[in-house]
Amino acid sequence: MIDIKKLKEEALKEIADIKDLPTLEEKRLFYLSRKGEIQKLMLAMKEIPREDKPSYGQKVNELKNLISEELAKKQEVLTSFAMNEKLKSEKIDLTLDSYTPALGSLHPLTLITEQLEDAFVGLGYSIAEGPEVELDLYNFERANIPYDHPARDMQDTFYIDPTTLLRTHTTAIQMRVLEASADKMPIKLLCPGKVYRRDDDDATHSHQFMQAEGLVVGEGITLADLKGTLEFMIGTLFKEGTPLRFRPSYFPFTEPSFEVDMGCHVCGGKGCNVCKGTGWIEILGSGMVHPHVLEMAGIDSKKYTGFAFGVGLERIAMLKYGISDIRDLYTNDIRFLKDFKRF
Amino acid sequence: MRMSLNWLSNFINLDGLSEEDIINKIIKAGFEVEEVLHLGQGTGIVVGEVLECIDHPNSDHLHITKVNIGDEVLDIVCGALNCRKGLKVIVAKVGAKLPGGEIKPSVLRGVPSNGMLCSLLELGISKDLLDESSASHIGIEELPDSFEVGETDILKKLGYEDTILDLSIYANRQDCLAMFSLAKEMGAILNREVTLPNYLGKSNVGKPSTLKVASATSNCPHYMAKVINKVSLKPSVDWMKKVLRSYGIKAINNLVDISNIVMLETGQPLHFFDLRSNPNRNITVVDDYCGEYVALDGNTYNITNGDLMITSDLKPIAIAGIMGGEGSKVLDDTTSIIIESAAFDYAQIRRTANRIGLMSEAASRFSKGLEPLAQEKAMDRAVDLLIKYADAEEIEETVTAGSNNYVPHTVEETLSHLNGLIGKEYQLEEVVDVLKRLDFAPEVEGEEIIAHIPSYRANDIKLREDIDEEIVRLTDFDDLKSTLPFLTTTIGKLSTRQSLRRDIRDLLMNQGLNEAVTYTLLSDKEKELTVLSLGESIALASPLSDARKNIRTSLFASMVNTLAYNVAHGNEDINLFELSSLYAKEKDKHEHLAIMLHGEFGSKSLKEKPMKADYYVMKGLIYGLLDKLGYAAERISLEGEENISFFHPYRTAKLLIAGEVFAVFGELHPSFVKEKKLGSAIYAEIDLDVLTSQKPSSIKSKEINKYPAVTRDISLLINKDTTAHDIIKCIKKAGKSLVSNVKVFDVFEGKDIANDKRSLSLTITYLAKDRTLTTEEVNKTHDEVLKDLADKYQAFLRN
Repeated sequence: MIDIKKLKEEALKEIADIKDLPTLEEKRLFYLSRKGEIQKLMLAMKEIPREDKPSYGQKVNELKNLISEELAKKQEVLTSFAMNEKLKSEKIDLTLDSYTPALGSLHPLTLITEQLEDAFVGLGYSIAEGPEVELDLYNFERANIPYDHPARDMQDTFYIDPTTLLRTHTTAIQMRVLEASADKMPIKLLCPGKVYRRDDDDATHSHQFMQAEGLVVGEGITLADLKGTLEFMIGTLFKEGTPLRFRPSYFPFTEPSFEVDMGCHVCGGKGCNVCKGTGWIEILGSGMVHPHVLEMAGIDSKKYTGFAFGVGLERIAMLKYGISDIRDLYTNDIRFLKDFKRF
Repeated sequence: MRMSLNWLSNFINLDGLSEEDIINKIIKAGFEVEEVLHLGQGTGIVVGEVLECIDHPNSDHLHITKVNIGDEVLDIVCGALNCRKGLKVIVAKVGAKLPGGEIKPSVLRGVPSNGMLCSLLELGISKDLLDESSASHIGIEELPDSFEVGETDILKKLGYEDTILDLSIYANRQDCLAMFSLAKEMGAILNREVTLPNYLGKSNVGKPSTLKVASATSNCPHYMAKVINKVSLKPSVDWMKKVLRSYGIKAINNLVDISNIVMLETGQPLHFFDLRSNPNRNITVVDDYCGEYVALDGNTYNITNGDLMITSDLKPIAIAGIMGGEGSKVLDDTTSIIIESAAFDYAQIRRTANRIGLMSEAASRFSKGLEPLAQEKAMDRAVDLLIKYADAEEIEETVTAGSNNYVPHTVEETLSHLNGLIGKEYQLEEVVDVLKRLDFAPEVEGEEIIAHIPSYRANDIKLREDIDEEIVRLTDFDDLKSTLPFLTTTIGKLSTRQSLRRDIRDLLMNQGLNEAVTYTLLSDKEKELTVLSLGESIALASPLSDARKNIRTSLFASMVNTLAYNVAHGNEDINLFELSSLYAKEKDKHEHLAIMLHGEFGSKSLKEKPMKADYYVMKGLIYGLLDKLGYAAERISLEGEENISFFHPYRTAKLLIAGEVFAVFGELHPSFVKEKKLGSAIYAEIDLDVLTSQKPSSIKSKEINKYPAVTRDISLLINKDTTAHDIIKCIKKAGKSLVSNVKVFDVFEGKDIANDKRSLSLTITYLAKDRTLTTEEVNKTHDEVLKDLADKYQAFLRN
C-alpha cells in the first residue's frame, strides 16, 4: 500500500529540486504517465474498502492536481530561465557599426540656393534664370551702367568681345525679365546664379561666385516693403528676428541704394571676432529700382516702383557654416563636402 | 579719400562732437569709414631735458640718463645715437600707452630704467611723413627750445596730432574728392555751418595776356590757362605742410605744394608749366599725336591717336590730365609759370591711363569726373595761394578755350511721392531742413518742393529719387516699418527644369554621392578634355591667367581635376556629381550632369563585401535615375562607344533617346587614369537638354494580374559576343505576349567553358492576363523560346 502522504512529500521535494527541462519531463512521466505513481495509486483503488473509496479517490485526485500544478509552475520557471540563458548567449556589442548608409551630400551653395528658392516661392516669386555668357546690354547698359560709366570700375569684367561678357552680377537676369514682363505687372523674381569678376582668387575673393538677386516691381512698392522682405529672407537663412541695419550706399541701378547689415548671428550683437566687435555684419546690397532702369525696360516709372536686392551666396555659406576660405567651396574636397547633408 | 579732422575744423566748428559721434554720423549718411588713422598718438608723454648722459658700462650703445620732466627727475636708459646732455626730448613715463605698447619700469643690463625717450616713429608717425630735418630719422626726436620742460601737448604743437578718416567714396560722389565740397557734405551731415576760405573770383586780375590757348579736340571742352611772370620758389608754410602730410603727400616746394593743395581742395588737378619751356606762349590740346613721350617721372610712354596731349608749337609738353613732361616741369630756378586748369573727358583719360599704365592721382581724379565749375574754382584758389605764399606778381589775365557749359538746374519733388516711395510719413519741415543743410536752397510752391542743385552735385542729383536718397541719408530712419509688398496675387513655383534638378540631386544624394561645384573657366589644355562637348569653346578676350581663359563645353576636365585632387589628398570612395550649364560658340546653353565614381560605392556593411564602382554600377545608377525622371529603359537605346580616347574602348557606352545621343559613360582608359593619377574611375556625362527634348512619360497605373505566374530558370551557353540584351530580346519575341519578365541572375566565363563562349542564367516568367496558364501551354512556349535561341544565337541549354 502506497502512502499517499509520503508520496506527496517526496513529490513536492523532488519537483522543487528539478533544475532543468529534461528532468522535469522525467518526473512528469514518473508521476503522471500511464505507468506513473499516480496511476499506481488509482490501480490500488480496487483494494480499498468500498466505503473508503470516495475519500481515497479524492485524495489521489488532489495529489494528481497538485503535482500537475507544481510541475507546470516549475516548467514556467525553467522555460523562462532557459530563454534568458539563450538571450544572454546572444548578447552583441552594441557599439559596433555594421551598416553605414550612403547618405551623400549637396553642395552648400545648392543648399542655400534651394532654401532661398523655397522661401520666395512661398511668397509668390518666380525663380528666374539667364545666361552666364551675357550681352553687355543686359549686364551693364540696362542696369544704368553705360559704357565708360565710372561704376564699371567697381566690377572688373571678363569680356569675350566688345558686346559679350561673362555676367558680373545676376542683375543681368533681372534686366532680361523686366524687359520681357513690361506688360505683365506685377513682377516678383528671385534670380540665383553664377557670376564672374576679374579678381585674383584668395581667401575672400573668387573669380567665380554665386549671387541671388530679388526684384519686385508693382504699384506702390515702398522701401518699407524692401525692409520687410529682407528681414524675412535673413530670418530664413539665419534666425528669425535677426535685426537689420540700412546704410545708404550707391548702385547705379537703384536709387536710393542701401548696404544692409545684419545683427551678428554668432554673438547676437554683443560683438565678437566674426563681426569684428561691431555687432553687425555686412550682408547685402539693395535699393529702390532706378526709374531709368524701369523706363529702359519699357515700364512706366511714374506708375510703378520696385525694389531689388542682391546677396552673395558664398558669403552666406561662409558665415552660416563658419567657412574661413572661399576657395574651400570650389576645391570640392569630399571631407569638406560630406558635412552638408542638410541646410 | 582721406579726411583730416584738423583740416575740417578750419571750416566747421567741431566743438562738442567726439570722434565717435562724427564717425557714426558719417557712416549713417552713407560713407564707409575704411580706416581711422591717428597721425601721432600716445598718452603719458611729456617734455623732458637730459641733465646727465653717460655711457652704459655694460653696453656699446646704451646711455644712462637723468631726465628732468619738471616735477621729478627720471633715470632712463636710452639707446639712441643722438642722446646727449642738454637735449629737450619727448619722455614716455612709466604707464604711458604708445602704439607699440605700454611703458613699464625695467632693468637694462643691470641698470634700472623708468621710462623711455621717444622718436616720433615710436608715437605712430610713419617715416615718410616726417620732416626731412627731423632727428627721428636717426634717433630720438630733438625738440626745439620753444618747448618747456613738463609740457604735455607735444604732438599738437609739432603738428602731428590729427585724426584722419579714410572714407570710401562711391562713384556718384566724386564731389567728396574735393575737400571744399566734402566740407559742405560734412556740414550737412553734422548739421553745422560751413565757412570756406574767401577765394572765389581771385583770379579775375591781371594785364592782357600774351598767351594763346586752343583745343583741337572735343575731349577737352574747357581749357583755362594763366601766365604769372614772377613767383618765388621756397619751402611751403607750415599749414600747407601739415595738410599735405595728413594726406600722405610729401611737401616739396611752395609751387608744387600749392598745386597739390588746390587739387585736394577743389578736386581739380592743376598743372604748372615753367614758362621758359613755352617761349612762344601758345598751348594747343590735341588728340592726334602719335609717338613716344618722356613724362616727368622719367619714363617713356607710347602715345597714340585719341590720347590727349598738351602741345606748344605743335610739340608735346604734357600728357593731358595724366602727367606733365620732363622738359616743362617746375625746376629749382623757376621764376615764372603757366597755370593750367582744364576739363578732359573722363572716359578718354581713363582709356589712356589704363593703356599706358599710368593711373596718376590726376588721371584718377579726371577719370572719376569733375564738377562743372572745378576749373574756375581751382584757378581762383591757385591765384589766391600763389599771391599769398609765392609772392606772385606780374599776373596776366586768364585765357580760356571752350567753356564749362554749366547751366544750374533744379529738381522738384513732392511730399506724397517721397512718402509713397519710402513708406514713411516725412513732414515738410524735415525735408526742407535737410535740403537747407545741403545748400540746395529749397523753395516750396504748393505741393512742389524745388531744390536748386549746387554745381558740385550737378552730376549726381538729377531725379526726384535722388532727392529722396538725400532725405533718407540725412534723417533718422531706423523707425522705418517692415511690410511685405501688397500686390495682386502672383504664382510662385519652380519651373520644370528647376524641379528636374531637384529630383536629380535628391536621387544622387540618396545614393551616397557628393555634389561638387567647380570653376567654369579652363586652361587651353583642359578645354580639350571633353566628353559630349557642346561645341567650340568660347575664349575670354582678357583672361586673368592662363589657367582660366576658356569657357568649358563639358564637365569632364573639371571632374577629372576634382577627382585628382581628392586622390592626391588620400581621400577614398570619391563619388561625385555636378550639374552645370555649358556654353559654346553659336550654341544655345545646355545643362549637363556629370558623375564620377571612384572606389567603393553605396552603403557599407561589416558583413557584406563592399560594392566596387564599375561600369555596371554606373549603368544601374543612370538607368535608375532615368527611370525616376520618367525615361524608362525601353525608351533608351545603348550602343558601345569605342572611339573616345579617355575611355576604355570596350567598357564604354553611349545612350540615345529618339535616335539622339544624350549620354556617354564608362570606365576611363587605363593609360588616362595612370597619366592623371586617378587610380581607376567611372565617368558619365549626360546632356539634360537633349534628354528633356523628349517628354517624360506620365505615370499610368496597371491592373495587378490576378493569375499565377510560372517561372523557368535556364542556363545557356552562348557565344561570347552575344549580348544579354540580344538573348532577352529573342526570348521576349519568341514567347510573345506570355513572357512577362526575363531576368539575368548569373553570368559565368572560364572553367569548363570554351574560350569563345560564356554562360548566361536567366529566369523567365510566363504569365497571361486573362487566364491561368496550363503546364502544356508553358511547355509549348518555352520549347519555342529554346528553339529560337538555338536557331538565332546558337544558344543551347547547359547540361
